[in-house]
Amino acid sequence: MTMNHRRNLTNRCNALKSTGPRSAAGKRASSQNSRKHGLNSTPDFESSREFRALVDLIAEEGFSAFACADIAAGLLNYRRVMDAYYDTYTSPEPVNEFMRDMNVKASIPIFRELLSPSGSEPQDVREMAAFFASMQRQERRKGGPVPRRSSDTHKLIRYQRNGIARLSRAIRQG
Amino acid sequence: MLYNVHFGIYVDVAMPVEDKSKPLLPFLSSPKLLPDESEAEFQSGLQSLLSELDNPSPLAVALISQLNECIWWIRRHTVDKELLLHEAMARLLSREGSNWMGSGNSKLSVALEHYLNGSAQTDQAALIGEALSDANLTLSDLRARAFKDAARHIKMVDDLIHRQHQTIRHLQRSIDSIDYKSRLIKRMDLELAALESKQSVKGVLQLDDEPS
Repeated sequence: MTMNHRRNLTNRCNALKSTGPRSAAGKRASSQNSRKHGLNSTPDFESSREFRALVDLIAEEGFSAFACADIAAGLLNYRRVMDAYYDTYTSPEPVNEFMRDMNVKASIPIFRELLSPSGSEPQDVREMAAFFASMQRQERRKGGPVPRRSSDTHKLIRYQRNGIARLSRAIRQG
Repeated sequence: MLYNVHFGIYVDVAMPVEDKSKPLLPFLSSPKLLPDESEAEFQSGLQSLLSELDNPSPLAVALISQLNECIWWIRRHTVDKELLLHEAMARLLSREGSNWMGSGNSKLSVALEHYLNGSAQTDQAALIGEALSDANLTLSDLRARAFKDAARHIKMVDDLIHRQHQTIRHLQRSIDSIDYKSRLIKRMDLELAALESKQSVKGVLQLDDEPS
């Protein structure tokens, strides 16, 4: 058995032990996995009222029937992308400012005070501080509202590029 | 005949070419704006773009409105770049200084915003001065460190702006193509009309030359 094969098997065995996110932050992050912008689905423009109206409008400009359909679909598709772009930009994931801005080191005495009634060990305080630090790292990685909306809209760049390329090609070839 | 063309536009197809930009205005007057943005400003930008075309066809007007939207996105993203920097500066100040609880950061953020705009009140300027001395930083140091901190996100916003520029270029080429097409059609129509008139004159002359 080669070294690579053995390594692969080990990796696969280890991966089987994984049972998904365990921390609260991990669970919170994975709960957002199903959030979609819907731009990967194939829309049915041809049966919409807007499509037919646009086709009639474009036909007035001397384009062939095929080109009219292509341009209308391109324009509607581009609008769909830009609407999703706007929605993504205006509704970023909310920021937990308290978690993001807190100074974990400075709050250790407070943790100690909070845990003292239960006769806690220093280990408990350390664990609590580590937990808050990891939550904070998660929160800071996402940044404030502006970084969040920037990184969210950044994911839609390729849809915008494809949308405008399709529209522009349809018009120039029409 | 009135058509409802996406986003609630009503276009009168039967109107003469000169007036086509006017009925398209409702289409353009329902843009998706942010709460603090002025619709009048959006419309005036659009009008100035439209005024650069002689007889814009409905398709050209639709493309120009997309182009105007791209310009607005560039403006929004440019503001975001500055906001990213301010946010990073406030975060750094809050982290370095003694304002360790969440409530300190938003207050500091507002004070910093006013301070950088030159509209800070005395207590806000004092807060920033105190926070800077607490963090042992000058304003330019803070700005440089914040830039480094927010570099990843600033790069993302730069990408977004670049994408809008590319989109504008595509839209311009498409508008040029429509304009060229309409000119070509007009020219061909004129040439055809000229040929037809020549042909008819020839026909009349031939009829005249025929011996009776």
